[in-house]
Amino acid sequence: MGRKSRDARRTRVTPAAGPAPADVRGDRNRALAAAALGWAVPGGGHLWLRRRKGVVFLLAIPLMFVFGLAFGGRLFPLDSGQPLVLLAAVADLGNGLPYWVARAAGFGEGRVAAASFEYGNTFIIVSGLLNMLVALDAYDEALGRRRTP
Amino acid sequence: MMSSHTLAMMLFAGFVSLIFAVLMKDRPAEQARLAGRLFAGFVGAALVLGWLLFPFPR
Repeated sequence: MGRKSRDARRTRVTPAAGPAPADVRGDRNRALAAAALGWAVPGGGHLWLRRRKGVVFLLAIPLMFVFGLAFGGRLFPLDSGQPLVLLAAVADLGNGLPYWVARAAGFGEGRVAAASFEYGNTFIIVSGLLNMLVALDAYDEALGRRRTP
Repeated sequence: MMSSHTLAMMLFAGFVSLIFAVLMKDRPAEQARLAGRLFAGFVGAALVLGWLLFPFPR
């Protein structure tokens, strides 16, 4: 074994200089705050991180939720006795603040007789799931895993 | 509110395409291209499936 390969092996085992543990903890807290804000206010996490695409989420996700309510969709209750209803309720909760505002204002009773009832449910559920994805994206952006405008 | 199932489906496809494209791509031109492709895919697949189910109305 030559001197060159011994040196190379020594170089490999040298620990890489990384951020101090306190920095890592700070980054993670910032990322968790971005995700929480992104869940509460659609696009809020991205806007807090100064990402312009947050504006698109801020407009599109609540608008999709409002369309769902206008179509006669239902805000499902957290009922552990019916697993599918429970899953739909968890997805609805993904909408964050708009969900709580709509619930407090008495919307989301669901018009079962309306032809668009199932469309309404689908809009509300999918807007909640999309907002969860957006919140996870804000978490990644805060950690520097993605860098977008 | 909206009686046309096709329009409701296209509205849904538009929202989902827009949000996916903005999430997945970084530059506006790439986002617009992906959103268009996703929208065409959603609407095209729904129309094809609709016609395939046509012989089985109930």
